[in-house]
Amino acid sequence: MKNDNGINKIQKTVMGVLMNFILIVFSLSCIFPIVWMIYSSLKEKRAFNADIIGLPKAPTLVNYTRILTNSDYHLAESMFNSVRTTFLSIVLIVLFSFIVGYILARVRFKLNRVLYVMFLMGMLIPIHSLLVPIYVVFRNCGLSNKWFTLLLPYVSFGLPMGIFLVEGYVKGIPVSLEEAAAIDGSSFSNTLWKIILPICKPILVTVAIIQIFSCWNEFSFALVLLKDVSLQTVPLALTQFKGQFASDYPKQMAAMLITMSPIVVLYFVFSKQIIKGMVAGAVKG
Amino acid sequence: MLHSIKPKGRTIFLYLLVPVAMFVFTVFVPLMTAFVYSFFEWKGGPQKTFTGLNNYIALFTDKTFWEAFSHNIYLVIVCIVGQIGIAFILVMMVNSKLVKLKGMHRTFGFFPSTISAVCIGLIWNMIYHNQYGIINWFLKTIGRADLCKVWLNETSMVMLLVAIPLIWQFIGYYMVIILSAISSIDTEVFESAEIDGANGVQKAWYITLPLIKNTMLVCTTLCIAGNMKAFDNIFVMTKGGPGTASMVMAMYGYQVSFSQSNMGYGSCISVGIFVLSLLVIGGSQGVIKFFTREKEA
Amino acid sequence: MKKKWLGLLLSTAMVTSMLAGCGGKADETSTPASEPTKEPTKEASEEKSTPAAETPSDASADGVTYVGDLEIMHYSTSEESEGNGGSDGFRTVLKMWDEMHPDITLTQNVLANAEYKTQIATLAAANDLPDVFLLQGMNTIDWANQGLVYDLTSDIKSSPYYSDYNEAYFAPFTVGDSIYGYPALTGGTCTVVIYDKAMWKDAGFDTFPTTWADIEKASEYFNGQNITTVAFGNGGKWQANSCFLSTLGNRYTGPDWFMSMVSKGGAAFTDEEFVKALAETQRLFTETSIFNEDFNVVTNEDAREYYISGDAAAFIGGNWDESYIWATLQETDQEKWSNMGFAVLPQPADATKAPKSQNIGLGYAVAINAKLADNPEKLAAAIDLAEYITGPEFASFVAENYALGGLTKVADVDLSGFDPITQDFYNWSYVDTETCEIYDSYITNAVWDVLNTDLQTMMNGDMSPEEVAANAQKAYEANY
Repeated sequence: MKNDNGINKIQKTVMGVLMNFILIVFSLSCIFPIVWMIYSSLKEKRAFNADIIGLPKAPTLVNYTRILTNSDYHLAESMFNSVRTTFLSIVLIVLFSFIVGYILARVRFKLNRVLYVMFLMGMLIPIHSLLVPIYVVFRNCGLSNKWFTLLLPYVSFGLPMGIFLVEGYVKGIPVSLEEAAAIDGSSFSNTLWKIILPICKPILVTVAIIQIFSCWNEFSFALVLLKDVSLQTVPLALTQFKGQFASDYPKQMAAMLITMSPIVVLYFVFSKQIIKGMVAGAVKG
Repeated sequence: MLHSIKPKGRTIFLYLLVPVAMFVFTVFVPLMTAFVYSFFEWKGGPQKTFTGLNNYIALFTDKTFWEAFSHNIYLVIVCIVGQIGIAFILVMMVNSKLVKLKGMHRTFGFFPSTISAVCIGLIWNMIYHNQYGIINWFLKTIGRADLCKVWLNETSMVMLLVAIPLIWQFIGYYMVIILSAISSIDTEVFESAEIDGANGVQKAWYITLPLIKNTMLVCTTLCIAGNMKAFDNIFVMTKGGPGTASMVMAMYGYQVSFSQSNMGYGSCISVGIFVLSLLVIGGSQGVIKFFTREKEA
Repeated sequence: MKKKWLGLLLSTAMVTSMLAGCGGKADETSTPASEPTKEPTKEASEEKSTPAAETPSDASADGVTYVGDLEIMHYSTSEESEGNGGSDGFRTVLKMWDEMHPDITLTQNVLANAEYKTQIATLAAANDLPDVFLLQGMNTIDWANQGLVYDLTSDIKSSPYYSDYNEAYFAPFTVGDSIYGYPALTGGTCTVVIYDKAMWKDAGFDTFPTTWADIEKASEYFNGQNITTVAFGNGGKWQANSCFLSTLGNRYTGPDWFMSMVSKGGAAFTDEEFVKALAETQRLFTETSIFNEDFNVVTNEDAREYYISGDAAAFIGGNWDESYIWATLQETDQEKWSNMGFAVLPQPADATKAPKSQNIGLGYAVAINAKLADNPEKLAAAIDLAEYITGPEFASFVAENYALGGLTKVADVDLSGFDPITQDFYNWSYVDTETCEIYDSYITNAVWDVLNTDLQTMMNGDMSPEEVAANAQKAYEANY
């Protein structure tokens, strides 16, 4: 039924150019902040304040050397804390989201909808105004100010979104897969890990990507629940770059770039695999 | 057709035990604590005075809170259209055969959601800046200096102006979700549609959208939930100003709790936000179900 | 291709970050020496002088017998201490005390100011304050009444430095007859007009005008040149209160009115004189073209850049802005630097009181957790610490290095080693002007938060002074 006439071709070319143009503009706008941060971090504070958007006239690494030579900033320690917390949180979020999301999508039991709504409610909690109750509860249970303290809120507040994504995704998978497996005598656990998990890979990768950055950048819980400087995560350590009445933005950006670099590099290095993972899990048939 | 499977109750219980227990402890215990606090007058110290429903009565007549609520609703509507709508269109474009550099678009699009709110706020403040800002610079260049404004000081426009960065930042976030959902659609469906002569828009509307309905519903829920408790970007950009023109509920609650040391009333606001969000989500799901059902019929 | 390029850039960043790891570790062993490329501080021409080194006998002499942990929370980050005399002095003196007391493990929990405020409020709410911390003036009454802070009255009165204390600084930390803290850091003005003498001379003013009418006249000239007459930034909402109204209000009401507000002696925000001050504020910001039109959006940090770049002929801010402008201009524009002049806010036409006043004070005090009363030895150590970091060591450090004053008076500050601008500012701050109170060092933050938000609306012309006053009064009655 293809009717390849001239008008259609011109239309297609115009559409193609237009779409490419829109997407390139969008992509560039998305990448601009990081480019801006990179070249701004090469400016001195005064040069930055005088001209915020322009390229540096006299690029300097002074911000980097200042950060790396001042032990008060304890970036190495905080990076270690952040890496540990983020890594463990992501593992747990992905694992739990998968289990709970699958069960809520497929298994019929009395509390199914109750749990569903409960997790839904978890997404609605305004954490900024709940900081004090959370601190009180954690302190009374002796859970504040420990190396694992942040795992609890990060996993718990990351779970609802993960569960919803997995639940929605699993619902789109034909049940015939599991039926066939059941007929072959596969147990629930076996089906879960051997059959469903590989299919869910794209959505789990998505969950991980989305959550990794929110864990890495999370600030409020880290501020309230941790007191020891040696436990601080990166966003808290970054506040050491702020004064009461003045901020040295280029220096802050240099610090942000240093601290962001591990995950950003990870993201770019693996972006091909990540996207492949997201796309390749497609269910056939 | 079978819609569910029936494993042993004990297996399910064991699988759910840890995540649910952890979730309840970290999320619901503090929420309940806040609920209890909301009945007290509490200035942030060991002393609390029980005042019954006084905080709630105050909340009902608190003009600032309801103004903030209306701003949240505005954000929800603008962001559902902006974030999810644009994300869907962009994903359709990226998946089109006419588009090159697909990998780059997929990789870059998500980038803004990885950057902290402080940085995003800073960048957009610069875009809106009265003297150095890009918008005013553009207006001057095209000879319309008369249209230049102190953008973030425009009471009537400020909500839109703080919503734009939010939309821009999270388009990539929804793109990732929608991309992964589409990847689970069987490509044969598209191929047969193409043979039938369906164009891109028709494919998107009649085939893709219904097939990823569940994911779109999840996106909508996420979007509502996210915007009912919006805080960071707006805090960095305007602190709710000018006056209360861009105040949102979560920021108001934070301000009452911390800047005004009124923890009791602050807790009451948190409960208020929670309940209102629940109502909005419930309402929206009802609406969506109503419309999608009609379509199927 | 683009991605490769980006990847390269990012991997460079990663290498840098790995270096960060190494750098950090290597540094832990060395002492945190001052940074090699330190920004110019207001140091006297000679080397930064540290007060005479302590002899070990001092430690035993102060009678501290406590052995164990002591926790202090403050917000003098190393960033803050760059060029900020108070923070630098605080950190230096704190370190000295720590070294003098090897038996005490002093744990410092340092956060930037905004985060400090959030965390300390959380800790106070949970009744879990650290041993020693910085108490903000406006929290004093609430926290003291709840028994969170230790009553230091008798300790302050018996302090060896008592006779040198500037007693006026205790006022924000006093409830009834009890004093709850040793005012900390340096006392600096919150409202100073910094102006460019050369620019104002060109406009026909040899000194900065003393009335707003003259400023309005000058603004006609400056606007013709496309220059903002006075730069101001209220984007954070607190600036209009701290750096403007607090002084302008005093010109209308005089100091007694505010003291009556503080002591609940019958004054009210709705009093005619105060409403007049609000009305004048509104008039100046909405009806004249004195200020930069984005004053309600930009912060003081942005606004002072207008001054530095020459886009504005004057700037209103606090001592922290002065030190920033001073340091920046000294480095980039010597001529503009030498033209820096200081003035008090001009007097409104219908104001009758204190035309030379400016608000000055110490916003925070070193306070002690009331729970320490159970452990007298620890309490003694904490008090010793508090006395020390606000005492003569601190005062002479900031006087000699920065020409600033703190709680403890220093006799005969020798200014001759300082440049003329710093001398001018010292004299302006401590000698030539009258002082008045900083509003938000007193009463309670519940009131100021309401007032600040409304002020911002009012300065846009969207609210009347009467409404602002009425709302503030309502918050005052409900919360104070």
